Amino acid sequence: MDAVALEHLGFEIALGTYLISSVLFVLYFSIKKQRLAEMGFTLALFGFAFQTLALASRWLYAGYPPWVSTYEVMSFFAWAVVGAYVILNVKSDYKSAGVLIAPLAFVLLGFASMQPTNPAPLIPALQSVWIFIHVPIIILAYCAFVIAFAASVLYLFKDKQLSEAHMKEGVNRQRDAASKDTPPSRTPESTGILANFSLEQLDDLAYKSVAVGFPLLTIGIITGAIWAESAWGSYWSWDPIETWALITWFVFLVYLHAKTQSWSASLAAYIAALGFMSAICTFLGVGYVLPFLQTYINVSTGLHGYAGGGAISGTVLFCGILGAVLLLLLATRKKPPNATRAPPAQTDTESGPTPQ
Amino acid sequence: MRFAIKVLTSIRFAAATIGVIILVSVIGTLYPGGDVVFGSPLFLALIGILAISTALCSLTKIVPLWRDVRRPQIEVSDHFMQALPYFVRLSGVSLTQVRDSLKGYAIRETKNGSTTFLLAQKGRVGRFGSHIAHFGVLILLLGVAIGAVYGNTNPYNNKIAVIQEGGSQQVDGFSLRLDDFNVSYYNNGAVRDYTATVTVLDGNLIQTHNVTVNGPLTYKGLTFYLYGYGVTPSGNAWVAFQIKSTSGLPLVWVGAAVALVGIMLSLYVPHKRIWIKESNQSTQLGAISNKSSSRFLNEIEGVRAKLESPPHRVEYSTRSE
Repeated sequence: MDAVALEHLGFEIALGTYLISSVLFVLYFSIKKQRLAEMGFTLALFGFAFQTLALASRWLYAGYPPWVSTYEVMSFFAWAVVGAYVILNVKSDYKSAGVLIAPLAFVLLGFASMQPTNPAPLIPALQSVWIFIHVPIIILAYCAFVIAFAASVLYLFKDKQLSEAHMKEGVNRQRDAASKDTPPSRTPESTGILANFSLEQLDDLAYKSVAVGFPLLTIGIITGAIWAESAWGSYWSWDPIETWALITWFVFLVYLHAKTQSWSASLAAYIAALGFMSAICTFLGVGYVLPFLQTYINVSTGLHGYAGGGAISGTVLFCGILGAVLLLLLATRKKPPNATRAPPAQTDTESGPTPQ
Repeated sequence: MRFAIKVLTSIRFAAATIGVIILVSVIGTLYPGGDVVFGSPLFLALIGILAISTALCSLTKIVPLWRDVRRPQIEVSDHFMQALPYFVRLSGVSLTQVRDSLKGYAIRETKNGSTTFLLAQKGRVGRFGSHIAHFGVLILLLGVAIGAVYGNTNPYNNKIAVIQEGGSQQVDGFSLRLDDFNVSYYNNGAVRDYTATVTVLDGNLIQTHNVTVNGPLTYKGLTFYLYGYGVTPSGNAWVAFQIKSTSGLPLVWVGAAVALVGIMLSLYVPHKRIWIKESNQSTQLGAISNKSSSRFLNEIEGVRAKLESPPHRVEYSTRSE
């Protein structure tokens, strides 16, 4: 079998396994059978292995790293996201995060599958050592932000679940106090898919991911500036992709400063989510959506020509991912305390019975 | 004045300023020609405010931090020890044993009567990471400012020099001669690269260079980039070079490098401190780290377990900072 056929086979298998893995994870979230998560993870691992094969054979026959054309960049990003997810699960068990990772990998790879796959020779401006450094570093930074986002969203869901359990607890306790014969209810505990990890663990995971992603983004921006300086004679020209990368950098800068303060962990989680949205805007929005808003299409010029393959499908991809992120964040909002219910949250279960 | 400094150095204020900068930047990318906001007085003022806030923040904190790191409190109260994230009473363990078990720590000791105090520290440089990063960003901004002021006053900056093959052009006291111009192609006919061979003639100095798309020529503070090419009616090739001043550029790169080192130090080098207090009655050990607390607490717990088996009386609290 030649390298091209091997690449296509690996790609198709990965696409299929990421789809099945996504379905398994969605099922896992609805029927909460641990086995489904295990299977979803194994499938993602399987797909990752085949995609590694596909990317490696493409690198071999194309003669340049597989992160230049739209097809390559989207595929490489999907590969790196799944890779980060696999690494995450080496030491600890964060398989549940697959419910966000697997669909993202599938959507990215599905989008890649709609793009032309023929390798084009590198234009002069792209022939630089920086293509080996700048592009993968930026993509790895984005992967770290994907993990930070996943951890933050799980944190917010868990936080919501706990506070709702507390609220119920409050109601039960009032009832218990009224009729002394019912046994006191137990401390609220998170159940199901979020039971595997604590709030502290998720908060810590988000922080560690940002601690990996932020220096990578910094290196990515600096190497981009060095490259721009040598190619255009200007290390910074406020082109939209530079500006948005800087915006993302600023958001995570605020996140890291928030972590040194006694600000709430939920606020930090929302800042991390905002940073991830900004990263999506940088990666997809600038190339696909800005040309719609701006009358002249001069946005993805220069070296960031990876956002190709049709503004419509690209915009659908961008809006789909951003919309899903927004819906998830909306779903983490706590229900406003009901007037008929007992005062929520601040009633501490360990502080003993409240005087009635 | 004191209030102003308090506001300017607060992280809330810096975060709010960054928020406004983000908002303005987003608007700047959304409409055509919106990038003019980045040169507007409003944007420059916002960056200036953030720079002042950054500088003041580090200036007000670096002296107390330096003092704390250079002359740390070695004699600490029982109350202080017990409030640390890790606290334990050791029994049957000598101070020498403790000292030997703490590898890679800088250790200081003092005596007060019959009580001995010991402080072991590691990763002190990590505490300076954020200030090093702030300093780096300020150097970078200085470089940007110098480039904007001096670069733009250089008469050759942003000029285009058009030179015919065999001809030369006088630039800032030296001259540039175009010896040759070549276009190389891939098999499918797409352009692989453009190469201009030029010679710098400066008094007795004669230097030949190849200028490519990703490989400009820098000489005496001016950089020459390939900008365009063509052929004259007489069949001679010509090449256009864009000239840019390199004013401030070294500071930009140095600043970026310093900032990166600072970021890495602050994120990856935790400052670990262990106090030990030995008196006639007891030996106490308290420890704190400013980062990756749980891993550090496990490390200390390992040290304790090695020193003292079986444990006599243990008070172990894992309060997060």
